[in-house]
Formats: sequence, structure tokens, C-alpha cells
Amino acid sequence: MTAADLLQSILASLPEIVVVTGACILLILGQFVRKGQEHFLVWASVAIVLIAAVGTLMLASEVRPAYTGMFIADRFAAFFKVMFYLATVLTFLLSPKYADVEGIGSSEYYVLLLFALSGMMIMASATDLLSIYVGLELMVLCTYVLTGYLRQQRRSNEAALKYVILGAVSTGIFLYGVSLVYGLAGTTQLDGMAAAVAGDPLDPGLLLAVVFIVAGLVFKVGAVPFHMWVPDVYEGAPTTVTAFMSVGPKAAAFAVILRVFLNPLVAATDVWIVVAVIAVVTMALGSFVALVQDNFKRLLAYSSIAHAGFAIFGVVAGGADGIASVMLYLLIYTFMNLGIFSIVIMMRNGNISGEVIEDYSGFAKPHPGLALLMLLYLFSLAGIPPTAGFFAKFYVLVALVERGFVILAVIAVLLSAVAAYFYIRIVMVIYMREPERAFDPALTPLVRAALAFTAAGTIGIGLFPAWFLRLAQQSVFGG
Amino acid sequence: MAFPLLSLIVFTPAAGAAVLILLRSDNAVRWTALAVTVIDLALCILMLARFDTATHAMQFTETRPWVPALGITYALGIDGISALFVFLTGLLGWICVLASWVAIDRKVKEFMISLLVMQALMLGVFCALDLFLFYVFWEAMLIPMYLIIGVWGGEGRVYAAFKFFLYTLAGSLLFLIGVIVLYFHGGETFDILALTAQDLPFQVQAWLFFAFLFAFAVKVPMVPVHTWLPDAHVQAPTAGSIILAGVLLKMGAYGFLRFSLPMLPEASVHYSTLMLVLSALAIVYGGLLALAQDDLKKLVAYSSISHMGFVTLGIFALNFRGLEGGILQMFNHGVTTGALFLFVGLIYERTHTRSMADYGGLMKAAPVYTTFLALFTLSSMALPGTNSFVGELLVLSGGFAANLAVGAAAVLGALLGAAYLLGMYRKVALGPASVGARFKIRDVNAREMTAILPLAVFVLWVGLYPKPFLNIMDASVKHLLAQVHAKGGGQ
Repeated sequence: MTAADLLQSILASLPEIVVVTGACILLILGQFVRKGQEHFLVWASVAIVLIAAVGTLMLASEVRPAYTGMFIADRFAAFFKVMFYLATVLTFLLSPKYADVEGIGSSEYYVLLLFALSGMMIMASATDLLSIYVGLELMVLCTYVLTGYLRQQRRSNEAALKYVILGAVSTGIFLYGVSLVYGLAGTTQLDGMAAAVAGDPLDPGLLLAVVFIVAGLVFKVGAVPFHMWVPDVYEGAPTTVTAFMSVGPKAAAFAVILRVFLNPLVAATDVWIVVAVIAVVTMALGSFVALVQDNFKRLLAYSSIAHAGFAIFGVVAGGADGIASVMLYLLIYTFMNLGIFSIVIMMRNGNISGEVIEDYSGFAKPHPGLALLMLLYLFSLAGIPPTAGFFAKFYVLVALVERGFVILAVIAVLLSAVAAYFYIRIVMVIYMREPERAFDPALTPLVRAALAFTAAGTIGIGLFPAWFLRLAQQSVFGG
Repeated sequence: MAFPLLSLIVFTPAAGAAVLILLRSDNAVRWTALAVTVIDLALCILMLARFDTATHAMQFTETRPWVPALGITYALGIDGISALFVFLTGLLGWICVLASWVAIDRKVKEFMISLLVMQALMLGVFCALDLFLFYVFWEAMLIPMYLIIGVWGGEGRVYAAFKFFLYTLAGSLLFLIGVIVLYFHGGETFDILALTAQDLPFQVQAWLFFAFLFAFAVKVPMVPVHTWLPDAHVQAPTAGSIILAGVLLKMGAYGFLRFSLPMLPEASVHYSTLMLVLSALAIVYGGLLALAQDDLKKLVAYSSISHMGFVTLGIFALNFRGLEGGILQMFNHGVTTGALFLFVGLIYERTHTRSMADYGGLMKAAPVYTTFLALFTLSSMALPGTNSFVGELLVLSGGFAANLAVGAAAVLGALLGAAYLLGMYRKVALGPASVGARFKIRDVNAREMTAILPLAVFVLWVGLYPKPFLNIMDASVKHLLAQVHAKGGGQ
């Protein structure tokens, strides 16, 4: 690699470098932050992300391959990175008050989130199975620690331990698949893989390799049959971390899935049948099990499984519209899911946990505005127009029908009718019951900002989807 | 582009709802809601006054790009078929506000906002000329309606609201898939007029017909997917029942007229017998169920199923008289059944019971109330001189022309109608006053009279001189029939 190449590579990965460097500096500075000055951490973290965001947007104009084919800065990556920035900044906004209530405020919390962000960014840009692995591990190691951040609570510890063990196994499976690919194709680069086997009849070993890689990635999005960790981890982790994990790392895993699955090599293995089955089963399981949940966070965990299933339908559809539909779906999901999580986080105040659905009985009476926001997020998650959630689902269905998968589209909508039940059940609880106690939501200005932003996204994309749709379509790689 | 009258009609209630958010006192909310709905009605009347009855083409059209990448436009327009329903929705809007004036005493602001949003969405459904836009309006109605039933309804409101929501959602999601399939078969456009001009293979038409049928049949409702209706009607507050009966049920039938018939003519002709049989079933079964009810609201709800059977019967008779009768009957049903629900609501506000066993001899206590009740009851059973007579006569003559057995069954249903409606009137208004005297009943007041009178005017106007109403739809119905028979064959 010449010096000029290196320079180009550094330029292409500048946002990642900014985030990592910023996180390191914050780690040191954090030691000098006194009690009561935690807001400095929030603003510093937000500033780091914003600088990285500016870098990403400036680099998005052209495709920049870097590090001899390990890494690429293209529009596809930029789209996902903006989504990650969004998720991270919103998490930062929601964190200080919650950390205060739970007593977990420390600079490492923000540093770990930043490192997780850098891992996600590397995943979105990775074009080699090994660089994917590096990004993946960087991300999940941070989330393991964040999951167990409520050190005093057993369920947080339990969740973290479960997550580490299962996560390690799934990573091992993924790596085994990578090694098989290397043995058969002689390379781990995504482009190289396709070229190496072009023209040859398919090796059965390759199918095995692909199945292993699929398994490793499907674990990260929480799809069946690798979903068991999701409810426990979502319930045990601090709610801010749950909110972050439900959108950020999940979107990162989808970025990798899109890059890997739509590689010609994988496309040749008919793996889409497996993926279609995964999509159906994931959505069915998520929707049906969520029906009987009383804990809000567990319900949202199953809801996130169901949404992952719906997004996987977009992967099954493939093609430019299929990819764009997954990207748009994830973007919209980021808004609406962080919105509903903002409410849950906000409710955690005093002796109200905000985690049991019954806690919200009659919420609409004293707080009509907040209840209206909840209504908006919940109907968006259920996919009722004119919210953004409807357009997200609609576009995935369009992609499915375009490829002739009408039956899959019918299954998808019937399952989302099932899913609608548990969302509107919460609406019922907040609107159609009498309040049993006083509410004391922790409505800080930062939380207000997060709510306003997510609400604007949820309704705005729903009413004016054209611009976002074009953005997603233009960000599809090779399209 | 010309003056966007339809956008104004559709979005005036929505803007009114936004204004309501800022208001504090309940009375200000009520008066503002009333003003907004009256303005909307005035706009609807203006629209009818400028409506050209000579053409079947869409009028007052507006088109703006919305999501160009998918061929989605914001397109509004009305023809002779939709014009009547836009007017009907405008007419019932302010009556709903009046009907809720004292009946809704808590969360008044939220209720009126839901009501106005609902009104905007219903008007949008009838005006939309883009399938995607149509679907957005159609589906978004679930949100305010769910709240209207679930928050302000009766004892079993939560169950009824869930049932309503899930039935309708399941139906319309299949419709959504149908819409997307149609989009790809029809040249990647959601433009309703362009899609109408397509020739689809019969196989595709058949699948789409059933996908659409599912959604529309739930809304109409047709037997056997009608079971949400009695629950929703009984539990909903009066205004909710009026909206449900007056407008929401029309949307299913409107769907048949706007989509199934012109876009899927071959399938419509092919499956018309099935539809006729289902209609006859609804007429007779709904009538029998109504006959067995003691709850006033349930009785009117089941009678709705029966009456909507006449509507679908007229539509799928696929001849001129049947179609005109069906459409007119939709309008009539909105007026008459809306009025009957209003009447049930009025008496319920006074006595807090809907059981007919509790009533009797109301004639003496509330002569004005019972006089008008008689008018609407007679209208509902299609007495000559009232609006439903004209509609039902047209439907029956169309129905007999299409299928003798089905026509005969429909006549039986009409007889049943006379039985349960007269029975109801006898139990409530006539007989000894002893039971009714338990309650302190006052007659209708000026506010209630204001809501009743316009409906009574339309009952008699359509009954005695239906020509202007038929004129509005004539050209469009002829055009629709020509479309169906040119492609679908038959007659």
C-alpha cells in the first residue's frame, strides 16, 4: 500500500477515526468531570457524533474504496451511518436523567456508546468478512458491558451474562463460516468471493459456509431461531441501552446482511428460501408471543423481533427496491421505536418503573399530549397510515409483490394484523382506563427534544415520504 | 389549477380539529366544532350547486405529485357516484356534533377532535382518485373510530372497539395487497382512472375481486363478516353510531362501485350471482336477527345489515335500475338510519335504558319525538312517499330482472322489515303509558329539533321528488354500466 493509498484510506474512514479518537479523549477527560457536571459528557459526545456526521455527509459524494478492499465509503454506508448517528444522539439525549435516576452516571457509559457506534460504522462500510468481524466484535463487546451496567440489579447481570455467552457462540459460528469460505474460495473479500466461484458448479461446502454466516448474522438481528436472548437482554439492560440496541446494532447487522446476502455468491445458493422461512417464523413468533406480555420492555423486545421479521421480508425480495425498502424500514423504525422507548425511559422516575404496561393506566387523562405521542408511535409501529410505519411496511410489500412473492406479502400483512393487537392494547390502557395513581414523568428538556424529533420523523416521513424514499433508493449500492 | 374546492372540503374539518387543540372551555369546543362542520356543509352544498350532471367525468379534479418514485399522486375528484356521499358526510357531520352536545360530558375536546378528524378522513375516502391516497384515508379512519368507540362508548366498549379495529384491519390489509398487485399489473400507477382503463386477465381479476371483497364486505358489512357491527353500534356513543351507519358502512359499497365493478368487470359479472345470494342472505338474516332484539340500538344495527343487503343487491344486479337504486339507497340509509340512531340516542339520554321492554306509551309523554320517530320508522320500512321506497323499489325491480329467486328473498326481507320496525314502534310509542311514566321524559328541545329537521326534509324530498338526486348520478351510472358490460359481457 503506497502512501497515497493510505492517505485515501484514512480520508475514507475519517468519520470512524473521529469517533474512536473522540471516545479515547473523552475516556481521559471523563475522569476529571466532577459530580453535577455530567452534562459536559453529553454535549461532548453529541459534538463528536456531529463532527463525524459532517464528515460522512462530505464524503458521501463519491465511492471511496479503502484499505485494499477491506473497507468502502459509499452512499449505502453513509445512509446507515446517518441512521446510527441519529440513534446514538437520541440515546445521549435520553441518558442523563435516566442515569441519574438509576444511579449509573459515569463517563464510561458515553465512551462505550461511542465505541459501539464506531463498531457499527465499520460494519456498514466493511467489504471483507474479516473487517465485518472486527466491526461486529467492537460493537457487541460494548453492548455486552452496557447491558450489565445496572451493576446492582441481578436481572441486568443475568442479561449481560446470557448475552455474552450466546453472543460468543454465534460469533464463533460466524467465524467458522468465514473460515470455510476462505478454504473454498481462497479469499474473504465479498467481491473476491463472487469472482472465485464464478462459472464453477456450486460446492455443497459453500452452502454450509453460507448457512453458518447467516446464523451468525441472524443472531445479531434477533431473528428466529436465534432470538432467545432478545427478551431477556432487552428487559435486563438499562432502558436507554435497550433503546439503543433495538435500533442501532440491529440496523448495523442489517447493513452487513444486505452486503453479504446480495452478493452474487450467496444469491447463487438459493439461500433466500431459508431467509424467507426465517422471515415468516420470526414475524409470527414475535407477533404472537408479544400478545401475552405484561412487561413493556419485553413486549417491545418481541415487537422488535416481529419488525426484524418484516424487514427480512425486504431482504428476501432483494433487488434495488428490496434493499431500499429494508433501509427505509430501518430508518423509520429508528424514529418510531426510539420514540416509544423515550416514553418508557421518561416514565422511570421516583418509584414508578414504567416497565409494566399497567403502569400506564389512564395516562391520557393527566398527560394528553404525551399520550397523543404514544398513540402516534404505537399506531406507527402497528403500521396504520398516515404514520411513517405504514409507509415502511407498504414499501417492503411493494418490493415483495414486484418480485412475485404475493403469498409472502399476504403472510406478512396477516401477521402484522396480529401485531396490531398488542400495540392498540397499550392505546386502550392509556386511553380507556382510569388513572390509578399520579404520574411523574421525568420530562427534561433533553427528553422533550428527543420526543419532538422522533415524533416529527414518525409523522413527517409518513406524510411526505418522497424525499426519504429517493434518498434510500439512491443509496442502494450498485443501483 | 382551479380553486381547490375538494381539498378545502376535506381539510376544513382537519384544520378545525387543530384549532380545537388550542381551546380550553368545553362550550367553546362545542361551538367551534359546530361552526367548522356547518362551514363544511356549506362547502359541500356549494360543490353540489356547481356540479355538472351532464357528464360522467371526474369534476373539481386536483392533482399534485406526492411520491413520484412510486407513481403516487395526491389526486382528488368526484363524479356523480361520489358527489352524493360527500354531501351525505357533510350533512351528517354537524348533526353528529349536535347529537354529542350533552351526551358527551367528559373529554369533550378530545371527542370533538376525533369527530372532526374522522370527518376529514371520510370525505377524503370519497374524494380520492389515487388508490394509495384512498387507502391512507380508508385505513387512517381506524384510529379516530377506535377511540370514539373505545373511550366514549358504553359498558362493553373496549371489546367492541377491539373487534371493530381488528376486523376492519384484517380486511383492509388484504385489500392493500390487492392494491399493490393491481399497481404492478396496471402499469405501475395508483391513478384510479388509469387503472380503470386497464384490461386485466380474468385470473388476476378473480383474485383481486376476492381480495377487495374481503375488505369491502367487512365494511358493508355482509354476512358472514358482520359480527363486529352490532357490538360496535351498541357500544358506540350516538355520534359514533351515526357515523358508522351513515357513512362508514357506505364505504364498503362505494368500494364495490369505484374499484370492483369498473376495474374488475369480468370477475364482477362472473361472481355477481354469488354476490346476489350473499346480499339476499344479509337481507333475510339481518331482518330475522332484528326481529329477535329487545335492545333498540341492536335492532337498528341489525336492520342496517338487512338494509345494506339491499344496497349490495342493487349494485350486483348490474343493471341500471339496480345500480341507481343501490346508490340512492345508500344515501337513504345514511339519512334514515342515522336519524334512527339519533332517536335512540335521544331517548337513551333521558332514560338510560335501551330495552324496549322498559318503554311504552311514549306518545303521550313526548308527542313530537314519537311523531318524527314514526316518520323515520316508516321511511326505514320503505313506505311510499318516503325516501327508501324509491330506492328499494328500484333495487327490487333491478333485482328481479337479475335473479328471480334473489328478488323474492329480498321482498321477504322487506316484509320482515315492516314486522320488526312496526313492532318496535308499537312497543316504544304506543300502548299503556304506565311503564314509560317511570321516567321523567321531556320532549325534544330546539337543539335536537335542529338536528332532526334536515333529516326529515330529506326523507320526504327524496320520497316525493327523487329526480334531482337521480340526476346527479345518472351519467356516471350509465358510464359505469357501459364499462362493466363492454368488458365483462352480460346484458
